[in-house]
Amino acid sequence: MSAVDTVRRAADAGPPGRNRARLTGRAPQDTAAGVWTYLLLATTILLSAFPLYWMFVIATSNDEALAKIPPAVVPGDRFMTNLDEVFSLQDVYFAAGLVNSALVSTAVTASVLFFCSLAGFAFAKLRFKGSRWLMLFVVLTLTVPNQLGIVALYIVMGKLGWNGTLLAVIAPGLVTAFGVFYMRQFILNTVPDELVESARMDGATTMRVYWNIVLPAIRPALAVLGLLTFVGTWNDFQWPLITLSGTDFPTSMVAISDLASGNYVIYRRVLAGAFVATVPLLIMLVVGGRQIVRGIMEGAVKS
Amino acid sequence: MSSTRAAPAPPGRRTPRKRGADGSGADQRRLTWRNRLYRFDMRYMPYLLIAPFFLIFGVFGLFPLIFNGVVSLRNYRLDDPTLPPWAGFDNFAKLLGDEDFWNALYNTFGIFLLSSVPQLLLALVVASLLNRKLRAQTWWRVGILLPYVTPLVASTMVFSVFFSRDFGMANWLLGLVGLGGDAPADWRADKFHSWIAIATMVNWKWIGYNALLYLAAMQSIPRDVYEASAIDGAGPWRQLWRITVPMIQPVVVFTVVLSTIGGLQLFTEPMLFDLNAQAATGGPNGEWQTIAQLIYKVGWKDLDLGYAAAMSWALFLIILVVAGINTLLTNRLSGGRQ
Amino acid sequence: MKRSWTHWARAVAVGAVSLAVVAACSGKSASGGDEAGGGAVTLKINFWGDFGLQDLKTRYEAAHPNVKIQLNSGEYNAQHEDLQKKLVAGSGAADIAAIDEGFMVQFRSQSDKFVNLLDKGAGQYESKYLPWKWKQSLSADGKTQIGLGTDVGGLAMCYRTDLFKAAGLPTERDQVSALWPTWDRFIEVGQQYTAKTNKKFLDAGTNLFNPVLGQQQTGFYSEQEQLQMEGGPKVAFDYTVKALQADISANLTSFQADWDKGFTSGAFAVLACPAWMLGHIKDTAPGTKGKWDIAAVPGGGGNWGGSFLTVPKQSKHADEAYKLLEWLVQPEQQIEVFKKVGNLPSQPALYSDPAIAEFKNPFFNDAPVGQIFPKMAQGLTPQYLGKKNGPTRVAVENVIKRVENKTLKPDAAWAEAVKEAEKAGRS
Repeated sequence: MSAVDTVRRAADAGPPGRNRARLTGRAPQDTAAGVWTYLLLATTILLSAFPLYWMFVIATSNDEALAKIPPAVVPGDRFMTNLDEVFSLQDVYFAAGLVNSALVSTAVTASVLFFCSLAGFAFAKLRFKGSRWLMLFVVLTLTVPNQLGIVALYIVMGKLGWNGTLLAVIAPGLVTAFGVFYMRQFILNTVPDELVESARMDGATTMRVYWNIVLPAIRPALAVLGLLTFVGTWNDFQWPLITLSGTDFPTSMVAISDLASGNYVIYRRVLAGAFVATVPLLIMLVVGGRQIVRGIMEGAVKS
Repeated sequence: MSSTRAAPAPPGRRTPRKRGADGSGADQRRLTWRNRLYRFDMRYMPYLLIAPFFLIFGVFGLFPLIFNGVVSLRNYRLDDPTLPPWAGFDNFAKLLGDEDFWNALYNTFGIFLLSSVPQLLLALVVASLLNRKLRAQTWWRVGILLPYVTPLVASTMVFSVFFSRDFGMANWLLGLVGLGGDAPADWRADKFHSWIAIATMVNWKWIGYNALLYLAAMQSIPRDVYEASAIDGAGPWRQLWRITVPMIQPVVVFTVVLSTIGGLQLFTEPMLFDLNAQAATGGPNGEWQTIAQLIYKVGWKDLDLGYAAAMSWALFLIILVVAGINTLLTNRLSGGRQ
Repeated sequence: MKRSWTHWARAVAVGAVSLAVVAACSGKSASGGDEAGGGAVTLKINFWGDFGLQDLKTRYEAAHPNVKIQLNSGEYNAQHEDLQKKLVAGSGAADIAAIDEGFMVQFRSQSDKFVNLLDKGAGQYESKYLPWKWKQSLSADGKTQIGLGTDVGGLAMCYRTDLFKAAGLPTERDQVSALWPTWDRFIEVGQQYTAKTNKKFLDAGTNLFNPVLGQQQTGFYSEQEQLQMEGGPKVAFDYTVKALQADISANLTSFQADWDKGFTSGAFAVLACPAWMLGHIKDTAPGTKGKWDIAAVPGGGGNWGGSFLTVPKQSKHADEAYKLLEWLVQPEQQIEVFKKVGNLPSQPALYSDPAIAEFKNPFFNDAPVGQIFPKMAQGLTPQYLGKKNGPTRVAVENVIKRVENKTLKPDAAWAEAVKEAEKAGRS
């Protein structure tokens, strides 16, 4: 939590001072930002936002606007037309893709939150034989990119008969080592042992402790992990492409790549689709941005 | 895997808690169901709680990883089941002589260097900008996460249009600043151009994220470190490089490892940068075909899963080695003053 | 061993992911799948480009209320690769899969994976087809017919009359045909055009290579499946390199967005037109109606492409699928497709039907397409297209693209093409 405390302290430190010329000896976070800092930051944000803006421009344009130099930089008025075309394309299943993405991301997020908080709780607050080794195992698997087993995963899914179904995309995401690790750290730091002990004294079962004490205490961590998991799952591409391409139930990402690889690739359509698939995440960023920022920053300090 | 099977293991002799010892010390025959429940709860419940993770991860994470090794030793050609099942090390032998593999390796490293170095350096700069007393502090931080939440597929499609030869904005901008040359640059024609285009996408995506990681580390540097350095009379730039960076060295190493793992598995960007987004060839001569992309092509277009599995193993080993080397290097460089 | 882990894995997985099952089930209902409900059958057709199926679908569905047709268009190479992947995987293929002649040998050698249309009574149509077309989709032993032909490509040149006029070239189709009796002459005309207008003449090198190759006696492979680059491929490649060196090509990648834009923007003035190309031009550049016309192809004759409809055995509705397939290749439907999209039927009896013989395509300045293409189709002696024809063509096209974008020297190109073709043949 130290990072967050620091952030808060820095934020509470009042209006910026006037003596920015004298930096020496002062921690940067206590130094008020100058005009240049603001300018550079604003430029950074503009560059970050530009591709998104331009995506919208193309998504609202007609073909002529795209086939000219200098390129269009102002949105056109054809967003609904383009979008209509995307949704009415029979062979891309774009609407299904959006629904499927929502389903997959929601299922995966719910499952990650539940299972990882259970395991994290066990590792943080319960004593059992082998817990240290098992936790070490979890930490080790954190470093293994599981994409590397993708060929075998395809074969496993084939044996299960799940290739080409949403199950193939959901199942591997149901738990993450990062989730367990993150939950363990959080529970370790925020749930006092005494609280658990006294609940035990009152005869509470393990599940009751989890439900009544742990869960309420880790709500912020659940929000963070949930947002990160949702964003990550929604944006996943390689594995869904392998197992879902050419089927009637793609995720929205696979549907966009289908839009981009037909015999008629029409970028205003592709990007209209891409824009629609981006909007939910933009909304999440606006609503949960604080949590996402915190999640990323805490992850950095702790691991 | 053996450790994950620990769930049904016999209860340890060491009883977990004091109260548990009291309970089991009582007369065995008088154990009520409540006691039994309690004993079960104390001894086995923890295993039940972690079981879902280990089971699911075992089946869909760990097992494929190990099974991948088996597949790589087999003739797993989907379209030719007549081949003998075991290939021995044939797939690996083929790998060594496969031009496509070496080309993809070369591309992967090229793009990795072009993307990770500027990415981390710029992230440091952005982090140090954010590491000031700012108005509307949260919004700046949220703002630089825009690329992070944008779906890679969506942003890659935008960049794909941005870098198009005839009507692309990149060429127009280059022309504006007088770097256009006589013919518009064909960003998909050679390694140099295509690598830059792809590296741009990677940099755009990850600078903000890494900046936040650095920012978090920067803010946990004790203030007295800076106070002590007052004697040196360090300006902001020197302060960044001589105090801040060495102090956040562990996080720098962490991001280097992260970007190594991510960079060497680059898939979506090179895949969708192709005019035909499902070709997986990475340009007419594999100009920007990465290893992950080659694995996809070999496995799911040529339908040679055994060979694709062998490539995955090779990639895994390469990642391990490179991540190790990078860790060492970063330790040396960023900790230079100590 | 294998069995036991499978069972174990299945038991565990099923138990652990009940949550996911719920999601996936609702996922299925969210797909474009079986919406019709009530015993209805959904038939999925996989194809590429424009097969002219949109209106036929509506008509067929109206006549068969229990059938719902799902049109699934994709990229040309990707559709064939996807079909191969699904055939091997054992499930997921469409009920009706279109296959181009360039990939036919690959699939007919797996005839056990397709419904034998002879069993369904397709034998009655043998006499209706061009004999070589019928044979193309027949298995080696002659016992299994995996597909019924839809169209034949033929070859002609589409050109922009307005751009020709601006360049001082003739615009009337016979005069234009007379401009280029040979490909050498064609390249010279291109140079004139380019010199005069400072614009490119041809769309892409690959779109010169493919038609020239289609005119040769031999393609990439002999009937013994030996790669034979020195025959037809060499001739086609040499002309292609010559055209690229003459700098008359816009060097676009065909069937990609910039190429599509080129039809409207006039990035090129001429392109090789098999009958199936007409539909693509009409679809991508509707605004250029009347600006196009059709002339003879240099070198005379030749064929590029032509497709079949097949029913993979995986189809759960093979009977219904065959019924639809059979309906689609009936004269009435084939004529409708020809008029609407341009695809030329592969049943010669139709060529003398006034509906085709007298048809003039308004989009192409009333060119008598009903005369131009049938004449060609009847005189054809088709090339053998090997099992690896598809990937080999892609490999050589990629070499041509490298010459176009100047990363490969023209003198070194042929050796490179041979090398890449050999590699593609091996994979």
